[in-house]
Parts: sequence; C-alpha cells; structure tokens
Amino acid sequence: MTSRTKSLIGFGVVAVVLNLVPTVVESLDAPSFYVTFMFTAFFWISQSVSWNILTGYTGYFSFGQGAWFGIGVYTTGILAAKHGWPFLLALPVAGVLAGLGGLLLGMIVFRLRKQSGEIFALTTLAVAFVLASVARLYSFIDGGRGIFMTGTPLPAFLGDFRTAMFRMTFVVAFLTLLTAFLLYESRIGWGMFAIRDDEPVAHGLGVPVFRYKMLALGTNAFFGGLMGGVWSLQIGFVTVEDVFNIRVPLFVILMSVLGGLRHWMGPAFGAVIIYALTDRLNSAGLEDLNQVIIGGLLIILVLAVREGIYLRLRARWKPALAVFVLAIGVWTVFDLGSSLIWDFFYASLLTVAVALVPLKRQPDTAASPASEAMAASDRSPP
Amino acid sequence: MSSLTGTGIAKHFGGIKALDGVDIVITEGEILGLVGPNGSGKSTLINVLSGYYRADAGRTVFDGDDLLRLGPHEIAAAGLARTFQIPRPFRTMTARENVALSYMFGQRRHSLAQARQAADQWLEFTDLANVGELPIDQLTLHQLKFLELARALATEPKLLLLDEVLAGLNPTEVEESIGMIQRIHAQGVTLVIVEHLVRVVTALSTSLIVLNQGRVIAHGDPEVVMQEPEVVRAYLGSRWEHA
Ligand SMILES: Nc1ncnc2c1ncn2[C@@H]1O[C@H](COP(=O)(O)OP(=O)(O)OP(=O)(O)O)[C@@H](O)[C@H]1O
Ligand SMILES: [Mg+2]
Repeated sequence: MTSRTKSLIGFGVVAVVLNLVPTVVESLDAPSFYVTFMFTAFFWISQSVSWNILTGYTGYFSFGQGAWFGIGVYTTGILAAKHGWPFLLALPVAGVLAGLGGLLLGMIVFRLRKQSGEIFALTTLAVAFVLASVARLYSFIDGGRGIFMTGTPLPAFLGDFRTAMFRMTFVVAFLTLLTAFLLYESRIGWGMFAIRDDEPVAHGLGVPVFRYKMLALGTNAFFGGLMGGVWSLQIGFVTVEDVFNIRVPLFVILMSVLGGLRHWMGPAFGAVIIYALTDRLNSAGLEDLNQVIIGGLLIILVLAVREGIYLRLRARWKPALAVFVLAIGVWTVFDLGSSLIWDFFYASLLTVAVALVPLKRQPDTAASPASEAMAASDRSPP
Repeated sequence: MSSLTGTGIAKHFGGIKALDGVDIVITEGEILGLVGPNGSGKSTLINVLSGYYRADAGRTVFDGDDLLRLGPHEIAAAGLARTFQIPRPFRTMTARENVALSYMFGQRRHSLAQARQAADQWLEFTDLANVGELPIDQLTLHQLKFLELARALATEPKLLLLDEVLAGLNPTEVEESIGMIQRIHAQGVTLVIVEHLVRVVTALSTSLIVLNQGRVIAHGDPEVVMQEPEVVRAYLGSRWEHA
C-alpha cells in the first residue's frame, strides 16, 4: 500500500470520527463550547491551509486572504440573508465568486512583464482595500448598513446552529486539507514547489508556470471564500469593518509561519495552536495581553524553529506524542485544568516545547529521518 | 536536414548588443561547438534559444515551430533542454527530486510515482547515485554541474545546449565528462557545447561556431575554423585582455 493510499484512508477515518463529535458532546451533556471551539479551529485551519497552497507551495506571498474571505462572507450575506436564497445554494456561489476574484487578480499580476514577489504581495494587500470601499459604496452589497445574518434558515438535517456550523466548517476544512494533500503528493504540486524554488528554471524545464500560479491562487481564493461563506452566519451582523480588516490575513500568516510552510499539514497545526492560545487567553480575561504573548511566542518559535514546528515535531514524533499523551493523562487524572480544553491546551504547549529542544547534533547524512525537515530548513520562508 | 535554424537573432541589454544578428544552423545529430571570448554572447544565445530571454529580433525554427514565439515550457516540450553555466538547482529538493521534477515535466508528462523511480537512471548516468538523497547544499560544484546535466537529460531532449559543463573541473573529471558527453550523443541527442577549453571542443565537436561581440565570425569544420585569421585575432585579443 502506498503512503498516499494510507494517508487517504487516514483522511476517511478522521472524517468519520470528527463527524460524530457534536452528537457525542450532546449525548455526554458536555458544554457546547467544545463544539464552538472546534468549528472555529476548522475555520482557521481552512483559511491557513488554503493560503499555504498559494504562498507555501508557489512562494508568492499573499496578504489577500481577507479579500477572499470577505467575498465569501458578503456573497452568502447578500444571497441568503438579503435575497432569501437557500443557504446551501448560496454557499458554493461564495466559493466560486472568490475563486473567480483570485483568477482575475492572477490574470492581471501574473501577466505583467516585470513580475516580482513584492509587486504581488502589495497587489494582494490592495485588493482587500478596494473591495472594502466597493462594499461600503454600493447599497446592493452593504452601503454602510451591514447585513443581519441571524435568522437565516438552515436545512433541518444539519441540526441545531452549533451542530450545523460544525458540520459545514468541517466539510470545508476537510476539503481544503484534502486538496492541499493531493496537490502536495502530485506532479502539479511539485511543479509549484519548483516555481517557489526558482521560477525561471522551472519554466525552462517544462513547468507551465502561469497555469500553476493561477491554479494555486484560484484554489486559495476558492476555499477562503467558501469558508467565508459559512462564517457569515457566525459573524451574525456583517459589517465592512469586521470583514475587510487585517485580522484574517495576519492570523493566517502567523499560523502558517508558525506551523511551517513547507508541508501541507504545517499551517493546520499552527492554526490550532494559535487559535487555542488566543481562545484561552481570552477566556482567562487576558485579551489585552493576547497580541503581546502571541507576537513574542511567534518570534521565539520562528527564530528557533525555522522550518515550522510541524516538520520539527514530525521528525521527533515519538517524544512529542509521549509528552502529549502524558500531559493529557496527568492533567485529567489530577484534575488540574478546569475543562478538557484547558487540558488540551496545556498538553499542546508542552508538546510544542518539544519542538524547541535543539538537536544535539546535525546529522551529516540525509539517511536520517530528519532529512525532510533539514531539506526544508535550508531555506528561509519566502 | 536541419534541426534548428536561427536567423537574425538579436538581444541587447541597455546599450550592450549581446547578440547582434546571429545566424545559426544546428544540424540533427551533430555536436556543435560554440566558442568565443568572454562576453561574446554564448550564454545569451543559449538563453534566447531556450526562451529564458525574449529575443529583440529574429526567428528560430526548430522542428517546424518558431521558438521565439513559444514560452520556455513549450520549448521544453518541443524537445530542447539546456544547462546553466552557474548551477541553479531547486534548493528545497534533493538531487533525486530535482531530476524527478524535470522528468515529470520536460518533453512528455509523467506522474510523480513514475518520476521517483525513473530519476535513478540519470543519477547513475551522471555518477550522482550516491548523493541522490542529500540536500543540495551538501553537493560539490562538480556534482552541481552534473546535476544540471542530469536534470536536462531527464527532460528527454532532442537538442541539448550545454553551457560550460566542464569549467572548473580537474583534468580527470574533464576526461570522464568527455566520455559522458559522447555517450549522450550516441543516444541520438543533438548537442551544442559551450566550452572555453578549445582543445576539448575541437576534439568533441563535429562543427564549430565562433562568436565575437555578439556576431558569428566563423562556422565550419573545427580544425579549419580555428586557423582562420579573424578567429585567431579574436582569441589572441581576449587572451591578452585577460592575461
Ligand atoms: N542579464 C544581463 N544583463 C545585462 N547584461 C548582460 C546580461 N547577460 C549578459 N549580459 C552581457 O551580454 C554580453 C554577453 O554575455 P554572455 O554571458 O552571453 O557572454 P558569454 O559568451 O557567455 O561569456 P562567458 O564566456 O564569460 O560566459 C556581456 O557583455 C554581458 O555583460
Ligand atoms: Mg557564458
């Protein structure tokens, strides 16, 4: 059995297990914020993993995540809340419109004679600003009045609001991860990595660079928009200020860099850690310290673990797993945390610490299991 | 029967005319030596033919296609490959992955699984089998030059342009590489070799083109061409300059 088949089976198992979570939580009479915690994590996983398909795979640094997210939010907002479309019909339109937005941007910037990473990054930043003013200006979009999403009817089979959010965010995050994985393990994905390493050389060896960059940008925008489409429900009252701000692009970058851009899983990992951290800090009433702590942690981690913590932990997965299981065990048995989320949080922090322990010796032959991590670490993030 | 015909190829960088109306014929099955003093436009010619640079003027017909209208990936698909004078490996990939990548794209498409298997044959051919799994920064210059070659071969080209693959190698390595180039040729690949070691080029090539200041100053039988007064003058001039 190839490793790809194994991974695909893994995807299937995870899908089935996670799908049961809301039902289990309900039947255990556990606090429903577990479900909220998880679906918010799914949101961030999907946003960062899709961002990484563009920036991690092809090396084109994007500040545009907020734009794709915003197109998605406003599409379901306008279609479902203002025009009464069935939500599940409006949702795919959100993804498609954002994807088309990405392709349109690509048609412009990837066709320029003089191309550069800087021009691309600045253009993506500008897109969100432009969209924000357009939304503010035209009343068929927003016109400065905002859109109420509360009361948008959802099909009964999705369950109550939380369960429905869980199911929808889960499906989108799952599809994003699956796409990222399939690309990572394919000819197209490798063509993208070659573009990241040296675009002109890749082009000369036969990689259709324009097509692949369009594909990466389109995929990124599509999933960003699709998840944005779901998220309008969670926002409740959609305003331009809440949607087109720097929060989404910034967090997506932080999460991905922390988790690592060199592997499809890296950003998902970073997303869970940073989201858990902000969530716990908020619930401990430390909102004000939030940014300081996250910023500080990020600086330390990025300096200490350049390839991102995912590859680092993978290279030493045995000690990492042991620490995690042990920590969860100790915390639950001695009842140290006030809830399972806190237990999970402390265990994760300790596990991340495993990534920080420096290697005793740089192995000089690549036959070591750390070779992938090393290969990934010899270049700074794009 | 010709494989590639270029007429009036021009390329300038600001005020420098790197190529000033170059006419070139590459006959199928030959080893064409491309020589000339430093800065005479040899690398630029390779860069234009492979689509790395866009020519300012001229026409290049390769198997019926006008190359100057095609993108680099289409030129690769048409069966033309090149090496870089200064090696440019994909730095986050191992040597094997570099070769696998070029086999996946190149002239015909292959899947990732096929490419991982097939990469071995070119690593072995270029004597890199034992460094296939190493990260790029652990390869020597010699190995990087051969990786350029392995990667170009993995595209399965009909026409291969080699830009100073032998430069910087010691005499033993040069001898080995000459054998390697002859074996590539024996497999039916048309070759253009750019080389400073005149002895090596004259020994290897079936015909020779001499460039000077972006112009072709001689084309023909290697032994004869190297005796022509203008060639001697161009070479003596450059020797003197660089002495
Ligand atoms: N990218 C570039 N930008 C500006 N000038 C360039 C560029 N590439 C080449 N040139 C100039 O064009 C001329 C031809 O350069 P080219 O590299 O083709 O020479 P060459 O024959 O390959 O020399 P060498 O034997 O040193 O490799 C030189 O004057 C060089 O400085
Ligand atoms: Mg040169």
